[in-house]
Amino acid sequence: MLYLSLVFVFILSYSFYFYGKKRALSLKFKKNENLSSLPDYYGYYVVLLVFFPAIIIWFFLLIFKSNFQEMFVMSPVLFPDVATWSSGKFGLIMNKISNLSIIVNLSEIDLTVGDKSILKMASESEIIAAKNLANFDKIYGWSNLTLFIILPVLLGFLATKSISGKLNAQPIVEKIISYVIKGSSYIAIFITFGIFFSLVFEAINFFRYVNFMDFFFNTAWNPNRAFVINASEGFDQEALKEAFGFVPLLTGTLLIASVAMLVAVPLGLLTAIYLAEYASSKVRDIAKPIIEILAGIPTVVYGFFAALSLAPFIKDVGEGVGLPVSAESALAAGLAMGVMIIPFVSSLSDDVIKAVPQSLREGSYAIGATKSETIKKVILPAALAGIMGSFLLAISRAIGETMIVVMAASLRANLTFNPLEPATTITTQIVTSLIGDVEFDNPKTLVAFALGLTLFVMTLILNIAAITIVKKYREKYE
Amino acid sequence: MVDQNSNYALQTSEVYVHYGKKMAINNVALNFPKNEVTSLIGPSGCGKSTFLRCLNRMNDVIDICNVKGKFLLNGNVDIYSPDIQVETLREKVGMVFQKPNPFPKTIYENVAYGPKIHGIASSQNELDEIVKDSLHRAGLYEEVKDRMDDIATGLSGGQQQRLCIARAIAIRPEIILMDEPCSALDPIATAKIEDLINELKENYTIIIVTHSMSQASRVSSKTAFFHLGNLVEYGETGKIFTKPDKEQTNDYITGRFG
Amino acid sequence: MSSLEKRLAAEKRFKFYGMFAMTLSLFFVLILMYKIFSTGSGAFVRTTINADVYFDPNFIEVSSNSSKKEIMKASYVDLADQVINQNHPGLDEENFIKVREMYTRKFDYQLRDYIANNPNVIGKTVNLDISASSDLDQIVKGNYPRNVPEAQRKINDYQLSILDSLDSKGKMSKTFNFWFFTNGDSRDPETAGILGALMGSFYALLICFSFAFPIGLLASVYLEEFVKPGKITDIIEVNINNLAAVPSIVYGLLGLGMLIGVFGMPYQVPLVGGLVLGFMTLPTIIIASRASLRGVPPSIREGALAVGATKMQTVFHHVIPLSLPGTLTGTIIGMAQALGETAPLLLVGMVAFVMEIPGGAFDPATGLPSQIYLWSESAERGFLEKTSAGIMLLLSFLIIMNTVAVLVRRKLEVKW
Repeated sequence: MLYLSLVFVFILSYSFYFYGKKRALSLKFKKNENLSSLPDYYGYYVVLLVFFPAIIIWFFLLIFKSNFQEMFVMSPVLFPDVATWSSGKFGLIMNKISNLSIIVNLSEIDLTVGDKSILKMASESEIIAAKNLANFDKIYGWSNLTLFIILPVLLGFLATKSISGKLNAQPIVEKIISYVIKGSSYIAIFITFGIFFSLVFEAINFFRYVNFMDFFFNTAWNPNRAFVINASEGFDQEALKEAFGFVPLLTGTLLIASVAMLVAVPLGLLTAIYLAEYASSKVRDIAKPIIEILAGIPTVVYGFFAALSLAPFIKDVGEGVGLPVSAESALAAGLAMGVMIIPFVSSLSDDVIKAVPQSLREGSYAIGATKSETIKKVILPAALAGIMGSFLLAISRAIGETMIVVMAASLRANLTFNPLEPATTITTQIVTSLIGDVEFDNPKTLVAFALGLTLFVMTLILNIAAITIVKKYREKYE
Repeated sequence: MVDQNSNYALQTSEVYVHYGKKMAINNVALNFPKNEVTSLIGPSGCGKSTFLRCLNRMNDVIDICNVKGKFLLNGNVDIYSPDIQVETLREKVGMVFQKPNPFPKTIYENVAYGPKIHGIASSQNELDEIVKDSLHRAGLYEEVKDRMDDIATGLSGGQQQRLCIARAIAIRPEIILMDEPCSALDPIATAKIEDLINELKENYTIIIVTHSMSQASRVSSKTAFFHLGNLVEYGETGKIFTKPDKEQTNDYITGRFG
Repeated sequence: MSSLEKRLAAEKRFKFYGMFAMTLSLFFVLILMYKIFSTGSGAFVRTTINADVYFDPNFIEVSSNSSKKEIMKASYVDLADQVINQNHPGLDEENFIKVREMYTRKFDYQLRDYIANNPNVIGKTVNLDISASSDLDQIVKGNYPRNVPEAQRKINDYQLSILDSLDSKGKMSKTFNFWFFTNGDSRDPETAGILGALMGSFYALLICFSFAFPIGLLASVYLEEFVKPGKITDIIEVNINNLAAVPSIVYGLLGLGMLIGVFGMPYQVPLVGGLVLGFMTLPTIIIASRASLRGVPPSIREGALAVGATKMQTVFHHVIPLSLPGTLTGTIIGMAQALGETAPLLLVGMVAFVMEIPGGAFDPATGLPSQIYLWSESAERGFLEKTSAGIMLLLSFLIIMNTVAVLVRRKLEVKW
């Protein structure tokens, strides 16, 4: 229904283009008024005045549908004291009503069938609320549809009425469009603010439960130890102190990222060098797209591969030579991540190497340097800044990578630098703490945002450092 | 026929160059006398730069470029022979390019690079001496002696080009190829480079491609005129510029085309 | 000349390293593809057991006159048991359970669907191919070894003997597994399908596109055509570059904290997933679109302005149409990335067990990559091939999208 009403918004706004234009033409030819703009612009004028208010309201109703649903079901008419309820009680009743509504729905609002014991326990107003809930989608949809037929028509007629010869439609139309364009570009800023504030806000909530220093300097990570003793005492403060120690997550993240970089940097860089300096154009045309495929493969695929094939393989090899290797070793996750990052490093390095002017190569060849000497002593030093930048971006990628570690790394925190042991990462723990019950008043959930904020800041610093280094060196050499 | 006379630093004959299917040099034979400056002149696209790049096999870098012909160094070394390492050849035949192309390293490292890779210097002191001497000969030492560790790209265009010359002579070549070395420079810097060329010819054989006929007449003793991939005329510079044998040459030097 | 020999040896070594690195990278692509295709191809085939099914009216609650709704509502568990008894006469209770386990648990649904499509069949006997259970399917496909002690097998000795006797009678066969493409998720690997996840991803991408494309296009038009470079554009520029490098999981946190936490949007739905993917794709589209706008030569703008067009007319009549192929290419590539993105979906709850095919952006759903993740976490061997098959499907979509992007660029892009 909501989508159907969107179609109505489009069709009605579009048809008002003709209506507005017709009105302008009739002013010109029947009433001999001088128009300030071309007739087309009166059409656009009406369209914009219909479309934008309607589409904004449509989005509003789409986004806040569930709020309306709550208001509709938990109306003060049915529950006079609803305003005084705590959020816990509100949630409980809402839950009960939604369970009821399923029964009501199944028995097609015939309350004589179905599980009567639940129905008996429900109050009269709860049953009505449940029926309302069951009908909400229909009611909301239909009222929506009605609204988006009436609203555009009303707006359209009002806008058309306001057309006169003196009205200069073109500048108005252009002004509206320029605001829309400007607004669009500010959305990028809003998203950044949104990320920052939603992280900071929930992270602050987390640090209400857990001391800042405890979080960043403790070496034990056992979020399951954070539990409520009882309602009056809240969380076990002693256990909370010990539950959220960030250090093993950081070391685990760095360990796996280091393994990944150890794979990706030599392979990626050498591949880029080979393709840019040695390979014939035929080899380049075939090999480059194939390696780029590695970049396009979703990370969930790498995670599956790491968990299914790589980890058992490494375990077998390790045991073959008498090394104890965990089934969830940091090595397996790191290797898969390294393969994922190869094309990232190689394509960035390739761009950088290509950007080194041909005259430098010729200068070196002319002295009698071999290709490899030219590469090692002239091209790489000249391209160093760009290459360092690409490494930093690759590290940032590795630290923020989620699926590979969720699927192949361990869930258990382990303070170790041995890649054969299991290790967990920041991203793994974010996902683990948010899968299942999400409770915004529990540090077990909130810690995800504190971790997310730390991750965001870490990657931000790496990205900014990458950009700055590249810029600085470029200025130096240009 | 190739003359076995060892007064020539470099002898070439039956040179053909193709870029893919396009012919760039058509049957050129040219000999370069020792310790003299030879200019290659001609209109744009006449093949003079292509020919120059054949002399130290710089065209090897270009995949589609196909070079045929005889090139003899010092009367006995065939530079396109499979036995010859291109690196060794370039040690003997240095090159300076149209646009100054110093490496983005320090001034010192730019000059020291060649001696280092070829293992010319046996000690740090010797290397320092080579760098100093090369910069001296390139007439740059006085200007840069206090900032040897600055990045070379900070020098002016003329200084950069002289640095590139210093870089080329640091490996003690026998021949220096110059591909329009002054085209990116202002007149003062150009005058300095020309003075330098006059000094350098004492010790080196220099082959210079130039667009400027006045430059050719100022610096060179022999001149070769190229047109459309053909060598039209070769002779003493004075003769070429005063009474050339061929009408085409006359038309070019008097400015009727080119 | 030993120094030169050394240098040439070093040259050779270095070239070899480069070639080795490239070959290794290519090898990784091959081994990954091989692994996925070799485990995934089995999912497109399903083992079936041929059986005579007598639609005994005594075991069917409905008649041929019943409405379709009634037929769909009724239970066919007894009928299914009856069919097994008829095809395997003389089973005691213990053995009956063992034989029942060889057939899919959803046997009764298969019968129900047959009756719903052919109501007149009641009272008649029909020869049908009944789907085998996933464990039996895996034994037949050879993914489970047969020659191990009984305790290590999911299929016991008795079941193996029944299997062999069925096989010798020619009753075992294989059929193309349509269910994989037409079903939603299921607890039983043999009936689990990808359609629910596919539709979930489709709705999410629809939302993603309708958010990110218009806004990305207009934002890039503003930044390239309407503002002079200054502080604000610098801030936006830095912002967009940083947004492009923010880890995807952070976008998931944005979706959870802001859209779900603050705006109260529902959990598990493609609407939220799509918006989060849209936030993520926006920088990609803006960057591509700006590059494309920059590629339109100034002479076009000057030409239009010279005939008296306003700035707005110049941009909308000339510049945007010319830059659109580049923008579209960037958009398709961005959407392809969004399709493969898993972590944000996990955080906004699009990773639940959902049997129904979602009918819109408000229905609970999983996405293609999150379904792959879900299946990969299942212990049963039958889901392993489903996971790989899901990956094959996902990769095919990505290849199609990227090919379309390349074609759009080749066919439509104007070269200046």
